[in-house]
Amino acid sequence: MTRRYLARRLLQVPPAALVILVGAFLLIHLAPGDPILALAGESGDAAYYAEMRAKFGLDRSLIEQLAVFVGNVVRFDLGDSYVLGRPAALVIAERIPATLLLTGVALALASTVGIAIGLVAAARVHRRTDVAINLVTLALHATPSFWLAQLAILTLGLWAGILPVGGMTTARSSATGVAALLDVAHHLVLPVAVLAATEVAAIARLTRTGLLDELSQDYVRTARAKGLSERRVLVRHALRRALLPVVTVIGGRVGHLLGGTVLVEAVFGWPGVGRLLLSAVQARDTPIVLGVFLVIATTVIVANVVTDLVYARLDPRIRYA
Amino acid sequence: MRRRLIVIGWVIGLVAAACAPTASPSAAPSGGAASPPASTGPTGGGGGTLVVAIGADPGHLNPAITTSGGTHTASELLYNGLVGLDDGLKPVPELAESWDVEGDGALYRFHLRSGVTWHDGTPFTADDVKFTFEEVLLKLHSRTRASVGPNLAGIDVTDPLTVVFRFNQPYAPLLQQLDVTEAPIVAKHIYNGSDPAKNAANTKPVGTGPFAFVSYSPDSEIKLKRNEAYWAAGYPKLDEVVMRIIPETGSQIVALEKGEVDWVWGVPGPDEARLEADPNIELLRTDRNPGGSNCIMTVSFNLDRPILGDLRVRQAVAHAMDRRQFVDKILFGQGRVAEAPISSGIGFAHATGLAMPAYDATRAGSLLDEAGWKAAADGKRAAAGVKGVPDGTPLALEFLHFPSFARYGELLRSQLAEVGIELNLKPLDPPVFAETVFTNRAFDMNIISYCNGPDPEIGVRRMYDSAQIGAVPFSNAAGYRNPDVDALFAEAQRTIDQAKRGELYRQIQERVVADQPYAWVVETSSVRAYRLPCTGFIGYAQFAATASCAP
Repeated sequence: MTRRYLARRLLQVPPAALVILVGAFLLIHLAPGDPILALAGESGDAAYYAEMRAKFGLDRSLIEQLAVFVGNVVRFDLGDSYVLGRPAALVIAERIPATLLLTGVALALASTVGIAIGLVAAARVHRRTDVAINLVTLALHATPSFWLAQLAILTLGLWAGILPVGGMTTARSSATGVAALLDVAHHLVLPVAVLAATEVAAIARLTRTGLLDELSQDYVRTARAKGLSERRVLVRHALRRALLPVVTVIGGRVGHLLGGTVLVEAVFGWPGVGRLLLSAVQARDTPIVLGVFLVIATTVIVANVVTDLVYARLDPRIRYA
Repeated sequence: MRRRLIVIGWVIGLVAAACAPTASPSAAPSGGAASPPASTGPTGGGGGTLVVAIGADPGHLNPAITTSGGTHTASELLYNGLVGLDDGLKPVPELAESWDVEGDGALYRFHLRSGVTWHDGTPFTADDVKFTFEEVLLKLHSRTRASVGPNLAGIDVTDPLTVVFRFNQPYAPLLQQLDVTEAPIVAKHIYNGSDPAKNAANTKPVGTGPFAFVSYSPDSEIKLKRNEAYWAAGYPKLDEVVMRIIPETGSQIVALEKGEVDWVWGVPGPDEARLEADPNIELLRTDRNPGGSNCIMTVSFNLDRPILGDLRVRQAVAHAMDRRQFVDKILFGQGRVAEAPISSGIGFAHATGLAMPAYDATRAGSLLDEAGWKAAADGKRAAAGVKGVPDGTPLALEFLHFPSFARYGELLRSQLAEVGIELNLKPLDPPVFAETVFTNRAFDMNIISYCNGPDPEIGVRRMYDSAQIGAVPFSNAAGYRNPDVDALFAEAQRTIDQAKRGELYRQIQERVVADQPYAWVVETSSVRAYRLPCTGFIGYAQFAATASCAP
């Protein structure tokens, strides 16, 4: 049953992605801004600009350009980047591992730490620990990422000097094997911490609220009456049900997290898709912008499908037909 | 347990994939010997590793197919021009050891350096020069194509080490257009028979420059190593150059202070004093940048607009500007007041003693009164008898700028408000700005950093030549038309004698100052910073060719 549901949901991905792409294509092309500057530079002659427009199909009507674009996308061809002069799909693919690593670790960290903190806060409700957790998570949730990033760079990077402030590896290092992996992990700490901070706060607050709701339910009273330990009541019974909305939110936060990478990757010089998107938008590099939209849209749709499946696993009453 | 191992394996795989360079010499293009020839002797080397911060991913490393500052910054160390330009913009030998100018300047004969090899060991010859111009630069390098192209009659190879450029008429600026920024020479054996814009060597380049390509990780770093067969005896000294791509200037400065990088291309004004006080850091000032040299922040007036078509209004704006404040408050001293329309960096063409409008708010007010823009009690001005403008129209002008130039707009708005002119600021991203100003001509005023380059023919003529009004980004923004100025530019282009040519540029500057299609605000300079013990840099082009980081 679930398999059929999964197949149906996955079949919905291509048309949904196509609708998003066409919408994004129209938005970009209807917005002001001429990509010719990125394509041809300045101080050229008129003939050169005309040649470059023709080469990239920018001299055609919008409908023609859209038709060519959709036809190419169906054949997995996103065209060549105006700025970088290389196939957009290749340029994006080169940067996906870095972004996956950053967002994957951040999401895993935010989920585990967020749920753990929420659990502690609910177990110590209205006590000092709970109040402290509430204050810290509220502050983190309200702090803009760019400010947090600069603060982290200044304190942990520059003043304390314990963490690198940018990049993915040490420039002078010729480390290989495990040492190289540890070097990347060292560089990953600050960007992951900043990216995960807001998510941790959101997940912790949601977990706490959900748990408090569950703890007032009859089944919890029954469990306690049966003499189960408080830890067992919290973790095995209440948390499992309280996690349902948390899982939904974590799934929904994937898109938010990907959006956050634009800023975090730019500030920390992380060579990922977010930074690529930022520079491509600034230069009106349409093939790259649309390609990144496609990747993000697909990821968000797939994340939603995965969320539904995890939801079913957590709550056996849920059945997908 | 198995599932956990799979997850750990997946994460390790991801880390490995994420930090793997995507281009390396193992996949170098075919066509030459696999390794460079043996070292020419105990020259150079031992200078250690230099880590350079660059602000943008270059996309590729072929400076011959683009004028992009990002690509040129990252790739000029890999290549050479026929000539280099010294601090005074005088041509000095590079791939060409000497040259003769014949036929009153219509023919240039270059004698190439012998024994130069490409990084793959293939000998460099005159065929490479002819091929580079005919198949790459004159097709894809927008500046060289637009300036050299229309004047060139042909390029002849007379022997493997001699190449001749023939022009339709005497052509004066050629030697300033042959450095690694304007005309880097690429290898014929690598690019022949391919589309130069798509050749795989663009990301695994083979040049003749002081450093050879090692690897390129997009958006992360570029590694270069010493060219052991470099033609300049004793150079380069550095063993390795690593370029780290760090987009945020603030992050670059922090990385420099922390010792993660050794060189940054631009120090923001507010950080300069702090870095200057750091005993580990040295500063270097220059007017030259890989993306453009000798730049002047210039306010353009749209001469097609009735209000700004009146010279008195343009002069009033110029008189209302206190340009010293731009140097102090915006550039933090990184520049100087513009004293002429042509940059002081181009010594022979820069005119002195011109009647540039000085700061004089009273004079600005009286000029506006004369033009029919009368001040109300609140100081704001409105039309009263201005030709083509209904009476009562407020003197409000739209001012377009890049977001990065917002502070120029804010300061100008406050200065013009003093004389009753209202300035409405409109920040636009560069592609939107270019379209709005040059294609749609939908603006009153704007500010542009016009880089004059090493010769007026490269970056000055485009601003004033009436043939350059149109949809070409950063050409004649004002829409200025003056047949005398057009004729003087044409004459200057074919005048070989530099003193006579300088006189023609003086006449041009006198005319444009009188017509005031632009207000020339400040000449900007750049401040590089580097960490000791690295030393021996020059501020531009092959900045690290003579540097060393050995203690």
